[in-house]
Amino acid sequence: MDSVHSHKVWQETELSKMVDGGVPFPMLSDAGGKIGELYDVYNGAVDVRGRFIIDPKGVIQAMEVLTPPVGRNPEELIRQIKAYQHQQATGEVMPSGWQPGDPTLIPSDDLTGHVWEVWKP
Amino acid sequence: MSILVGKEAPDFEANGFHEGKFGKFKLSDYRGKCVVLCFYPGDFTFV
Repeated sequence: MDSVHSHKVWQETELSKMVDGGVPFPMLSDAGGKIGELYDVYNGAVDVRGRFIIDPKGVIQAMEVLTPPVGRNPEELIRQIKAYQHQQATGEVMPSGWQPGDPTLIPSDDLTGHVWEVWKP
Repeated sequence: MSILVGKEAPDFEANGFHEGKFGKFKLSDYRGKCVVLCFYPGDFTFV
């Protein structure tokens, strides 16, 4: 929402004191919530806390939208990115609660009704 | 409310601040890379 000049001041006066070198990614200005409208996160006053994982082909694979008072969980974001990267590299699918290194499933008709036999979390 | 997951991400171009400089940033310039797009209500918010 804020201007790029506000982003600069925030980066230089606060964020760079919290993260060594400041945040390493581009901070964009969404004037008037136009981008937020495209992604359905603009509420008429502000962009709420929307977060989208966009894969290398430009497809949205995951989203999370929170109201302003609660912050996000970066560890869950990274878990989801690793899971999608694993899926796109192998075709395997990641069951509930999957963490990198955990067993995955290979989708097939034979697996229907037998997940409990092959996946024991 | 539409379901956005599984669909192509709407492209946009915006002004931005990155590595000490102002510039234009276009989502489709990042094709071939994984992108995390985050929205937040305002600078200096505390969450």
